[in-house]
Order: sequence, then C-alpha cells, then structure tokens
Amino acid sequence: MEARVENDDPRVPVTILTGFLGSGKTTLLNRILSEQHGKRIAVIENEFGEVGVDQELVIGAEEEIFEMNNGCICCTVRGDLIRILGNLMKRRDKFDYILVETTGMADPGPVAQTFFVDDEMQTKLRLDGIVTLVDAKHVWMHIDTSNEVKEQIAFADVLVLNKTDLVTTEELEKLEARVRAMNRAAKIFRSLNADVEIGKVLNVGGFNLGRAMEVDPKFMEPEYPFEWRGIYSLPRGRYPYFLKRGPDPAMNIALLPVDDISSQNVQASVMDAVLLFSEDAVAVTSGEIIRPGRRLHQLALTEESPAFSFEIESPGAYALYTQHKPEEFQAVLFNGSCLVYPVQEKDFKPDHEHDDEVSSVGITTPGDLDKKKFNKWMSELLRNQGTDIFRMKGVLSLKGEDNRFVFQGVHMLFDGRPDRPWREEERHNQLIFIGRNLDRARLKEGFHSCLA
Amino acid sequence: MPGVAQQAIPAAHNLPEHWSAVMDDCVVSIAWSPDGEHLSAASASGSVCIFNVESGGLERSFQAHDFGATSVKWRPAGKEIATAGQDGRIRLWDPHAGKLIRELEGGSAWVDHLAWSPSGTYLASAAGGKLRLWTIEGILHREYPQHPNTIAAIAWRPNASELASACYGQIQIWRPDSDQPEKTLQWKGSMLALAWSPDGQYLCHGNQDATVHFWIVRSAKELQMWGYPTKIRELAWDRRSRYLATGGGSQITVWDCSGRGPTNTKPIVLKYHEDLLSQLAYQRNGPLLASGCLGGRIAIWEGKNRQPLFTAAMPSAIAQLAWSGDGTRLCVGCEDGTMTVLETSESTAAARR
Repeated sequence: MEARVENDDPRVPVTILTGFLGSGKTTLLNRILSEQHGKRIAVIENEFGEVGVDQELVIGAEEEIFEMNNGCICCTVRGDLIRILGNLMKRRDKFDYILVETTGMADPGPVAQTFFVDDEMQTKLRLDGIVTLVDAKHVWMHIDTSNEVKEQIAFADVLVLNKTDLVTTEELEKLEARVRAMNRAAKIFRSLNADVEIGKVLNVGGFNLGRAMEVDPKFMEPEYPFEWRGIYSLPRGRYPYFLKRGPDPAMNIALLPVDDISSQNVQASVMDAVLLFSEDAVAVTSGEIIRPGRRLHQLALTEESPAFSFEIESPGAYALYTQHKPEEFQAVLFNGSCLVYPVQEKDFKPDHEHDDEVSSVGITTPGDLDKKKFNKWMSELLRNQGTDIFRMKGVLSLKGEDNRFVFQGVHMLFDGRPDRPWREEERHNQLIFIGRNLDRARLKEGFHSCLA
Repeated sequence: MPGVAQQAIPAAHNLPEHWSAVMDDCVVSIAWSPDGEHLSAASASGSVCIFNVESGGLERSFQAHDFGATSVKWRPAGKEIATAGQDGRIRLWDPHAGKLIRELEGGSAWVDHLAWSPSGTYLASAAGGKLRLWTIEGILHREYPQHPNTIAAIAWRPNASELASACYGQIQIWRPDSDQPEKTLQWKGSMLALAWSPDGQYLCHGNQDATVHFWIVRSAKELQMWGYPTKIRELAWDRRSRYLATGGGSQITVWDCSGRGPTNTKPIVLKYHEDLLSQLAYQRNGPLLASGCLGGRIAIWEGKNRQPLFTAAMPSAIAQLAWSGDGTRLCVGCEDGTMTVLETSESTAAARR
C-alpha cells in the first residue's frame, strides 16, 4: 500500500450523522442542505419527509442491520446502505458528498463497518467522520442508562452539544467534562440551534489515516495526579485548614506561590504541581503547620476532624492543589473565624462519580515497537475485546522503519499503513482506544510490552 | 433523442464487434427480444433504448422512470417489455412504438427486481419487502405476505411455476395460486443473488459474507462454499446444470456439480481478469462462458479450458452481459453507457479449427 494524499482520493466522502431523537439531526441536515456551498449532496435519511430541499437528492432508507453467517460482530453491516449507495454510485451525475442520518436509537458500529467490510463501498466511498448531536438538556435522562447514547458519543469524531439555551453554563461544563471523559478524541462544539459551521462537521477526516492523530490537543492531556486547584489571595498570617474524615486515610496537597493570577502563571504552576506530585510526599499529621513551597504534603486524615494550618509569610497569590476534591473531606480554609474562598478554582478530573463504563484510554510512549510483538498483542486484543473497542487510532514508531505507521480501527477492523517519514521530532507512539470496560492499566502494560 | 449521448466508438479487441452505441448513463439492465432481432437496455438515469440488432440502429428511446431504472425485461414469447425504477413504478411498454401500456405500483420507494415467469404468464415485481405478481394485462394477481427485509433477489424456477425470493435470513418459494410459501429455507445472512440450475434441482445464492450457498431443493440439503475474497453477486449455470461459475473476486471459480456434486471437490479456477468480476453469463444453448470485470475486460471461456478463447477491452467497467437466445452474439453494457454487440459464432468456429 502507498500513502495517499487526501485531495487525490477520488472517493466520495461520507458523513454519518447520529444523535438521539430530538437532538437536532434534522435541523442540522436542513442547514447543511440549504446553505450555499455549491456542492451536490446526497442524503440517506432514516425516513422520508423531514428534509425537503429540491435540488438535492434525499433517499429514505430503513435501517437493515445484517449480521453475517459467521456471527462475527465486525461483519454486522447496514444492508440497505450497501444497496442504496451501490445504486447511487453507478450514476453519472456524481455527488460531492453523502450524508447518512441514522435513527435515534442506532448503534453507529454497523454503519461505520459498512464502509470497511464491503469492497464495493471501499473503492468508491470514503467514510469521513461520525458526527453526533447531543441534546444538552435531555441527554441526562439517557446518558447513564442507554447503551445507544453512550455508543453514539463514543463513536463520534465530532460531538455537537446542541440546544445550549436550555441549560446553564455550569450544566454545559459538566456535560462537556462527562462526554470528554468518554471520548477524548472527538472535537466538541456547542450550538444553539444546530448552528454549527458546516466546515466543522464535513470533511473532518476522522477515518483518514494521515490525520489519525490530528485531534483536539485535549486528547493527550495528561492525567493529572490532583483533582482540584484553588487560587487564593492571602495576606500574611496563619490560616487554619479544617477537614473531616473522608473516603481515604490520607491526601496529598501542594501549596505553591504564584506571581499573580494571570492564566500564564497559573498554567505554569500546573506543570510544577504535576512534577511535585510525582515526588515523595512528606507526612503531615493533624496540628502541624504547612508552609508554601515545592514540597508535597501528605495529610493524615485518620482522625474525625483533622486540622492543619498554612503559614503565609509573604502576602500574595497561592495555588493549592489537592489530590481529591475538597468536598470529599469537607476541606475549608479559615482566616480567624472567617471562611476564605478561592478567587478561582478548577477541577482536573471530570466530574464522573458514575465510573463510566465507556471511556478513552490514551497512550503516549517514546521508543520503537517490535512489529511482531505488536501484531500479536493487537490481534489478541481485538479478538478478545474487539466487541468493546469502538474506535481506536494512533501513530506508531516501528523498529527499523523510517516512516510513521498510522492506523485506525472500528471494533475488530484494523486499517493501517506506513505514512510519511519521521521528521526530526522525537519518534514516539501515540494511540487512543475508546470503548466499554477498558482496563487502562492492562492496555498500557500490554502496549509497553511491545516495545523493542 | 433522450437516452443516447453519442454514437459508436471503436474498441480494441480480438472479438469482432457488430456495433456499438453509447447510452446516457450506466447500463443497468439488458434484455434480448425473444426473436433475437431487438435489444432493450435501461440506464441508471431512467432512459430505455430499443436497438435493432442487425443494423445497430436505435429504433426508439424514451424516459421510462424518473430517478433511474433498475430493470428491463422482455416478455418471453411476447411483444411487451416491462421496466422498473426508483420511482416505485413498474411500466409495461410497447417497445416498438415506445408507448406506455400500463403503469403499476411496486409498493415501495424503489422497485428493485422484475421477472417474467418462464411461460410469460406472470410478471413478478419486488420492491422493498413487497413481492407482487401481475398478469400480462397488468392486473395484480397476488400480493404475497410482506417480507421481513428488503427482497434481495427473485428467480423463477426453470420450466416451472415457482418463484424464489431471497431476503436477509431466508429464501421462500412461492406459487402463483397460494399466499403461503411452498418452502422456506432459512439461512442466516445477507444474500445478493439467486440462481436456479436449468434443471431446477439446485438453487444457489451468492452472499455478502463472501460465500456461495447451495440448496438441493427437493431434500433441502445444503452445501456451502467458502474462501472467496469478496462478496458474490456473479453466478451462472451452464445449460446442462453441470457447471456453476461464480465470481467474488478477480478469478472465476467453477464448481463441477456432476456425479456426487461439488462436495469435497476442487473447483476449476479461471484466471484472466485483474479487476473484480462484475458479470458472468453462460450461453443458453452452448458451452461458452462470458466474464466481465470492473476494469472493462471481457473474456470468453469454453469448458474446463483454463485459457480464454477470446478477450475484448471495453471503455469502462462491465455492468451487464447478455447472450442472444441463439448464442451467436454477446451484448455488453458498460458503466459509462457503452452498448456493444460482439459476434461470437464465426470466431468460435475459427478458433476451434
């Protein structure tokens, strides 16, 4: 196989549009079709009648999910799409773009797989991406219980949080954190009335191998060893820090001075804190004094109401990083008899006590992979866990190869090829799995065992 | 005239070309008239052309269906043609006058398949999950119970009044006089094409999961052929019901069904095409097999001979192949709309000498 520049790809791009009933799929479709873009677009709708624009071709389809005789999940395809698109691609008047809308309850797996397991589809069409619309308000009714909602979020290359006018900013933040935890590779946009720019939902290259790692920088956001940070503005003095016994017998904290509360300085303190949290902590017991500086304190929280105090000598801004959220231990800071509130606070761990069964596991590792070991590990992984792995993509550094190796996959379908040569940047491996019941530690361990 | 963009382009091949014409879009269906004097062809744009076989002249062309045609079928021993399209309609025409005789409702958005019964008494149509049977006059004779999925293929049993329909999960065999299927054959998977052996003993289907499945209809005994590179839509039986040629890749796999049948035998493999096969057709009264591929190549094969007798190159992917009733000519329809009639009888005789 050889590398192919995207623009040279003569195949017609296809976008799959998913989302629960009422999430705004039809509104988005109508927006795309009515906009003046000069493109010929064919739409495969899950039923007739809702979209109505004359100059475009709209075909109604009934979702026909076909499992193959061998019972393999990766061979589950949309039979109706193969038939309809097969017919469509015969015609001389070619389309620039094809949009496939699924029903609200659809599992995106079979739709996506249709474009990889059928040779005819593969030679003429290119799956560009999966766009999932999320009703920012009503999704909460289903996100914990509905497999379909979880799958639609997990499969997406683009997530549009729609109907933002129905919720508060806090609720929206909470939703974004939640879906981000499930799918760290997707681009997330917010929209009021499905009014997201068309360029953000079409031609996203979600299955384009060359762009496999061209994802939101947040995707590779490190996992922070702390869950919370508060920025305090503290005059000189001694500040009692009261806690209550909580879920853990101890908690690490760091109190770092920051020059001011500009985002640049605050951001720099995050990196300091990450490093600090990897060092050995100094045990502190109730009644002891904590001074700001580059030191990780391990507070013993075995008593009913442990109390510490912060000794501030030079007045200024201080960043307090805590391993757990303050509310878990009812942690409060006092100045005399007054509560001291942070001027800013930030959560570093998405707020999901639900322990989402759907999650993303990202791996970034320097070093070269042993091809044989990697092949063996990957085929075993897909054989045993392919059903639970919805999407994966990555860039690999293979031992003895000058070129990057890029891959993507849907369930058990693995699609990979050599890409451009490594530049002077450090060779490294970067990959992400999105799926159900993923064992982060085991995946990392398994991948590391493939290093040459 | 609608339906024809330009005339005759020469193609390089070593089979003599009788004539060539170009239709306005991909040729989706070809039918010879029962007397072999005319050819009808339908295109993806919905136009239908009637050609004079001897002269190659276009006798008639008309827009048969908006949104594209799917099928054109000449009534056995009759004068009418039936066409079906993506407008949900079936139309009966007087082809020579280009006159619409009757318009029928398929029952769903697209009518995918049409088939005249061997005697020409009934016309069967399949649209979505609806299977309907019409009389020559275009009167609905019967609507069979709704199929659970879109009907993927229909085929009349040769010399019989039995119609097989395949949809995801099952094949059913129907009679014109009953709503109840005579037989239901369960097969979990997606079928793409059906082919009865000319003696009516075997019914086989090519499948999405790259297998070919056989039924010995009387006993409902079944066989499955594995190992194809891709899905199989190309199936052809030779006139003696001995060889079944199958596609599903770039090489042709021919199963010998004589004696104890193909069980545990090695198939004959015919290699010539470099692109995926798109069409396979045996002569109805002779031994020749014609094959066409997406690369626009045609090959003619005889018996177990692993070398093609002839080859020919067409300007684009082969979309349709149809032998004339007497087997002396092969009509080729291409994706770019090219219609070509090749002469095979004299060349065959010469090649054998």
